[in-house]
This record gives sequence, structure tokens and C-alpha cells, in this order.
Amino acid sequence: MIRPVFLTLALVLAPLPALAHKVIAAVYADGALIEGEVGFSNGDMAADATVAVSDPEGNPLGETATDADGMFTFRPSVAVAHVFHADLGAGHVAEVTMSAEDVAAILDSPAARAAAEAAADTGGIPGAGQAEAASDGGNPSTFPLDAASGTAAVGSSAVPLTAAPGLSDADKAAVAKIVRDEMRPLRREIAAYREKNDLQSILGGIGYIVGIFGLGFYVAARRRMKG
Amino acid sequence: MHIVDGALAAPVVIGGAVLAAGGLARGLRDLTLEKIPAAGMLSASFFVASLIHVPIGPSSVHLILNGLAGLVLGWAAFPALFVGLLLQAVFFGFGGLTVLGVNTLDIALPAVIVHYICRHGIATGSPRIAAIWGGIGGALAIALTAACVALALALSGAAFIPAAKLVLLAHVPVMAIEGLLSAAAVYLAIQVKPDLFLSLQGPVR
Repeated sequence: MIRPVFLTLALVLAPLPALAHKVIAAVYADGALIEGEVGFSNGDMAADATVAVSDPEGNPLGETATDADGMFTFRPSVAVAHVFHADLGAGHVAEVTMSAEDVAAILDSPAARAAAEAAADTGGIPGAGQAEAASDGGNPSTFPLDAASGTAAVGSSAVPLTAAPGLSDADKAAVAKIVRDEMRPLRREIAAYREKNDLQSILGGIGYIVGIFGLGFYVAARRRMKG
Repeated sequence: MHIVDGALAAPVVIGGAVLAAGGLARGLRDLTLEKIPAAGMLSASFFVASLIHVPIGPSSVHLILNGLAGLVLGWAAFPALFVGLLLQAVFFGFGGLTVLGVNTLDIALPAVIVHYICRHGIATGSPRIAAIWGGIGGALAIALTAACVALALALSGAAFIPAAKLVLLAHVPVMAIEGLLSAAAVYLAIQVKPDLFLSLQGPVR
């Protein structure tokens, strides 16, 4: 009687992926922005979720929303710790904090300064374009990456060519952006791997249960033998 | 199913912890020498069953088997299910340590309620009738658990009410599966070891 039931159950459950419903969230600096991602530990990302931003005391600093890939960006304006809070429903809540030092580092970054200058100087089209590329990514092909190798893009006279031996701030920001983009899938994979319920943990848990109840059995038996 | 850290208001978390501690104390007193092996078995089944997740809509659900634990163990289901939840929180981060009390209450209290509702039917009836009562118990425990989770979420803020409704809805298939599974398990137990439900619980009061 019970065997067919288990068999049916196994057949019903087998094609479905085992889902862990633990929420994961991460934030990191992205030029002048704070970039973050929210999702479930099985790799499903939280699409179109509202992310409330506040300081550690709970005073709201703003609000943003995730895109279809569970990514969100937030532009910080004050150098305090930022707490990002997303409610994914059914008791799933993600909360992640970026420390005040990290936020201050973002506000102090060249990309942020360039963005602030661009915002202040709306007439400076080349400058604004460059800041845009440095802070928000844009098309990688427009990056003045090859400025150092002497093939500066035509018309981008605003690009500082002083960076012949080293890299300019904009170049550094561009490289950092590329590295971040390359790292993203890796980071996600590591997060998913860390959340994997492997057989060893499950067997370990069963072992713990056996041990705990064995201990209880021992204590109860001792008590009975004394009595 | 497991509520995570930070989803509930502080009074709900504290209240849940206090009530769960009370249930644990009552359950440990009920955990006699004869019941310990059964409690360990059911704790382990709960631990493993809760790891198999079935995606439904935006959430995912899993078997709980708390109805079966309640039918066999009565109040002793509290410590058995608590151990399973504790290990899940420590090993896999399901739920969390601060909400452990609420989660224990959500899962173990329905088990105890089911025990009192269904024990007469199982203890006195034929195998067929016992299996029917077992099925009712298994499904009822899930329904009560979903209601408890929904209540805990609702007590923490009005914004949670739609989510709470979703929790109830998502557990309808689990109710059906658990009902069938519990019925089968009770039927088997009555056939193989008819005194399981009697000897472990003492005389029916």
C-alpha cells in the first residue's frame, strides 16, 4: 500500500527541480552607484521587487526596484550606511547593508565626481557623455580604453590623453566596470553553490537527529533504572 | 513554509518563542522511553521531507509530515519537530534562529491539535477507518499550519495579508499529498503493528 504511494510521489516530484527558498541579496559599488541583486538561493532572481533604502535608524533614503534579472541600482547622496530591504512575499524578506565607509568610498570615487560635474554642467556634452560611460556603463565600445595605446577616438577631445604611462580615472572606472561584469555570473554561481543542499549535509543532519535522540534515550533509560 | 528572519514583528517573534518553549516543556514530559525511537524517526522524516521543495507559483512548498508526527507522538511532536527545525536552520539557513519559536509553534501545534481530534478514530476503528482518520489528520495538520503561518504574517502587518492568502492557497496540493501519505502510513502501521497508536499513547481518555 505504502510502496506505490512513495513510488508515485517520487515520480511526481522527480522532474521538478528541488527548490530552496532561502533569499539571497548582495550589494556592491558600481562607479557612482550602488548595485545590488536580490534572488532566491536556487538562482531564481526576484524580478520587479520594490527595494526600500534606509539608514540604520530606519529613516528612508529612497526607493528603487529590481529589473527582470533581480538587479537594482541606487545612487547614494549621503555617506551613511545604507540598508536595502526587499519584501518578496510569503515571509521572504531580503535585507542587506552597505557600510558607511563603502558608501563614502563611492561618493569619493572619480566616477561619482565626474557624474556630479556632469550634472552641474549640463552644457558640457563631451564631459557628460564620458561621465555617463564611466558611471553607468553604456556601450563598452565607446570607452576610451584604447586611449593609452594611442588610438584615441575621433572627436572625443575631452578624453584626457595624459594617461600615456598609466590609466586615467575614466579608464580605471571602465576596467573596474568590465571586471565587475565578468565577475557577476561567478559571484552568482558561488552564492548558488553555497546554498546547495548536498547529500553530506542531509546525512549529517540525520546523524545529528539519531545522536540527539540516542542521548535522550540514554538519559531516560538511566532515570528509569535508578527509579 | 519556514518564515525567515526579519519577516515578523518583534512581539510575534517573542510570543511565538514563549509559546513554543511551553509546548516543548510539555512535550519533553510526554516523551517517554518508549516514544523516543519513534520521535527520532519522525524527526528525521520531517527533516528530509522538508528539503524536497515543489515550486508552486511564486513560492515553493514542501512536505511537512507534521500530521503523522502528531498522530503518533501527541505532545512529544514538539521536541521531535523542534530538533528537525533547529538542524534545518543551522545547516541550511531555512527559517532562522530568531524565528525558530514561531516556526516550531506553526508546525508542532497543528500536530498536537490533530492528535486530539483524530486519535479516537485511529485507536478504535478498523484499519480502513483508521486510514481515513489518518488522511484527515494529515491534511488537517497542513491546513492548520498554513493558517498559523498566515496568522503570524498577518499579525506582523496588514501588508502581509495578500501574502498570507497566498500561503493558504499554495498548500492545497500539499494537503492532498500529505493526506494520502498519512492515510497510507496509518493503514500500514495498523496492519503491521496494531498497538503502535495504542501503546505509545496509553489508554484513550
